[in-house]
Amino acid sequence: MKAIQVKNLSKTFKVKVKEKGFRGSMSSIIKPRYKSILAVDNISFEVEQGEILAFIGPNGAGKSTTIKMLTGILYPNNGEVSVMNINPCAKRKQLAYKIGTVFGQKEQLWTHLTPYDNFKFFGAIYDLADTVIEERINELKKTFELEEFINTPVRNLSLGQRIRCEIVASLIHKPEVLFLDEPTIGLDPVVKENIRELIKKMNREYQTTVFLTSHDVGDIEKLCKRIIIVNHGRIVLDDSMEHLKYHYLNKKIVEVKMKETVDFTAEEGITVLKSKGGNLKLAIDTTKKKINDALRLIDADNMIDINISNVPLENIITEIYRENKVLL
Amino acid sequence: MLTAAKQQGKVLLLSVKYNIMRQMTNRAAFITNITFMILNNATFIIQWMILFHLKEDIGGYHMNDVMVLWGLAASTYGLSHIFFQTAYNLPDLIINGKLDSYLVQPKNVLLGVISSGTNTSAIGDLLYGYLIICIFRFSIVNLLLFTLFSITGALILTAFAILTGSLSFWIVKGDMISGNLHSVLLHFSTYPDGIFKGIIRLLLYTLIPVGLIIYLPVKMILRFDPFTLLLLLGFTVLIIFLAFFVFYKGLRRYSSSNLMSARI
Repeated sequence: MKAIQVKNLSKTFKVKVKEKGFRGSMSSIIKPRYKSILAVDNISFEVEQGEILAFIGPNGAGKSTTIKMLTGILYPNNGEVSVMNINPCAKRKQLAYKIGTVFGQKEQLWTHLTPYDNFKFFGAIYDLADTVIEERINELKKTFELEEFINTPVRNLSLGQRIRCEIVASLIHKPEVLFLDEPTIGLDPVVKENIRELIKKMNREYQTTVFLTSHDVGDIEKLCKRIIIVNHGRIVLDDSMEHLKYHYLNKKIVEVKMKETVDFTAEEGITVLKSKGGNLKLAIDTTKKKINDALRLIDADNMIDINISNVPLENIITEIYRENKVLL
Repeated sequence: MLTAAKQQGKVLLLSVKYNIMRQMTNRAAFITNITFMILNNATFIIQWMILFHLKEDIGGYHMNDVMVLWGLAASTYGLSHIFFQTAYNLPDLIINGKLDSYLVQPKNVLLGVISSGTNTSAIGDLLYGYLIICIFRFSIVNLLLFTLFSITGALILTAFAILTGSLSFWIVKGDMISGNLHSVLLHFSTYPDGIFKGIIRLLLYTLIPVGLIIYLPVKMILRFDPFTLLLLLGFTVLIIFLAFFVFYKGLRRYSSSNLMSARI
């Protein structure tokens, strides 16, 4: 069954245009000018029930606008949306019982209350009986390991603890679809990993469909089997993670600090991006040279420091966008 | 339908309870806020005592009548700000895209929004109102009428705040218009209506409904009139419907935002 169906969805925002300086301010009072910005441009896709989908793109690509239309926050200008066979615009309240939302940049919890009180409040919002709320809190408390701080006011929690509570609050009513908009923003790697594990566990145990947006390659790599990339409001790629990894995440960036200058220009599969004295920045094409083979070329005795990283997501997106206007 | 209304009412009361719990986190600030608001309101008694010492009748009102007017204004304002404080912050929520968390909840958005905050000093206003009616015009009937008119007044005042606040869906600087209209309404509500004539008086019974929030109820406490009561109840229902209609009409234009925000 399809959890989400989107057909030819578009959203335009009207934005006021102001000329620079005081004169501009005066003329905008007398004769205001507006321009239309197409935030989401005719996109269509479907998500299966129980799937974890990454919906990514650079800032301003239209990710959050799409999520907001799927959850009934924004009204689309054109197109059709159906989440669990419900139209979010027409039946917002009915849909709310079936979905959960976590916006990493926006808190839904009352910061002065404890997580326990917050969960009680959210349970009441979803019309759950007190006994059911208690049972659910106990269950989620164990799953998300909240025992330590469930009675500490939210404002005194660390960011990681707070995000865990945000996710729990959004799960109190057992939603069938969970929308996560940058849930790991600002978190340290350990907490990020915890959150990812919890999302996976939740998907496995409750078969919750997860619609995730994130700028973190780790989130996407570790959680999602399918990825949709949007840019300038349009879908530029809708593919499996396996395919994306094979085609686009096949480069590693190695930054190495050597005691002496080393020349790698002749090596196949290695591109020297930067070379200054003993400092080198190399791009390893893992389809041509395995990363361990590349590392063997570096003399460990001569090495002071090394850093290996993936190509940043933004670069991949830019690359995909530059290569293909629309890659469907 | 009835169950939904019951559930909505339960959430609304829970929201107010949690808001007050938040205010009580700091006991000293909580008590000081309430006490000082009562004292602040009480200082105006001296001002009116001096004025009535100079002139026996001001706009058809005597000292006790003005006190009822002040008491009703305070309790109306208090009740509205205890239960629906966020109605007065609506422009900020609309302009800065802070309605998102309410839109993903299976409850009435407007009720969820307006009941999400409270003002501690408003408790002082409400208590002051009841103190005044008990001191200056105590009777069981007056107390009941005072309670009824505090409720209708609070509902009209809140609906007015929603109507003016909803302007921000259409006008970027709607918060200024809303703020100005609200302060005009508050200033007029503490003076006898008899001193206003002509177009101003007309405005006070139409565009800025102080007449229906304060003046007519005060007149009914002084001399009860069932026809005026029906008119008042009818207007209350009408303005509430209008507030919901305008808010939901505007909500279609809501554009959210990606600003960082917290629910505090």
